[in-house]
Amino acid sequence: MSRPLASVSGLAGLTVPGSYGAKVGELGVTIAERTGLGIATVAACKGKSEALKAAARKAYGVELPERSIVASGRDILFIGTGPGQWLAVSEKYANEELARELAGRLQGLASVADQSGGRTVIRISGPRARDVLAKGLPIDLDPRVFPSNGAATSTISLMGVQLWQADDTPAYELAIFRSLSGSFWRWLAASAAEFGYEVKPG
Amino acid sequence: MRIKCPYCGERALEEFTYRGDATVKRPRSLESDAAEAWTDYVYFRHNPAGLHREHWYHGAGCHAWLTVTRDTRTHEIVAVEFADKREGT
Repeated sequence: MSRPLASVSGLAGLTVPGSYGAKVGELGVTIAERTGLGIATVAACKGKSEALKAAARKAYGVELPERSIVASGRDILFIGTGPGQWLAVSEKYANEELARELAGRLQGLASVADQSGGRTVIRISGPRARDVLAKGLPIDLDPRVFPSNGAATSTISLMGVQLWQADDTPAYELAIFRSLSGSFWRWLAASAAEFGYEVKPG
Repeated sequence: MRIKCPYCGERALEEFTYRGDATVKRPRSLESDAAEAWTDYVYFRHNPAGLHREHWYHGAGCHAWLTVTRDTRTHEIVAVEFADKREGT
């Protein structure tokens, strides 16, 4: 019998692995959903910023960023999303486990809220990844202005996105609100089609 | 018009929401003799041709409230800072 609350991807039925779009030259873009991630928001309690930073340093060996960049700690990424606010993402602490882990370690210093059921995370990589994102994201991702550990909170086609650079291939990961998964996927598929894209299993 | 958010960097106007005059101060008193101060606070605004300090909310970005100094004649933005000075520290 299946678990009554087993997690279901917001992109279920949409991300069918395969090659799509233009079939000329090299493959432009690779798209994969990142499933099973632990996702949580962390917001510093008033007057506790320094104590929170010290606790994060001790627990995860990370300097919580004070600007729009991503910092990797032990098993958890911390993405700066606003003054005193971070989005935490983890493979090891899957699903709602991450919020429990963070809430335990940062008790009294930060408000932690589980977002693992509220976001869909999509990885977009390949030589044309930037060209795809440029069609919707009003931010220049060129390496001359966007650092390799850069992050940004903005909108794509009126949908809120939190984006961070995952590596220099380049690869970007985008967290979108789960209920917008279908709309976002339509934007992404249409925008990537001219470059040819491959959907990989999550 | 573009606003240089102190957290996110330069962003387009669509990401922000305008709240209004940042110079008005909420009266502390609730006594009846403060009626005039309340009337000023609730209803009256200056309409300067020139520099204006105003609150903007970066709703599509970092969710910070900003105090923007803007020239109402040219839309030139002279300064942008966090409305709450404790933020970003």
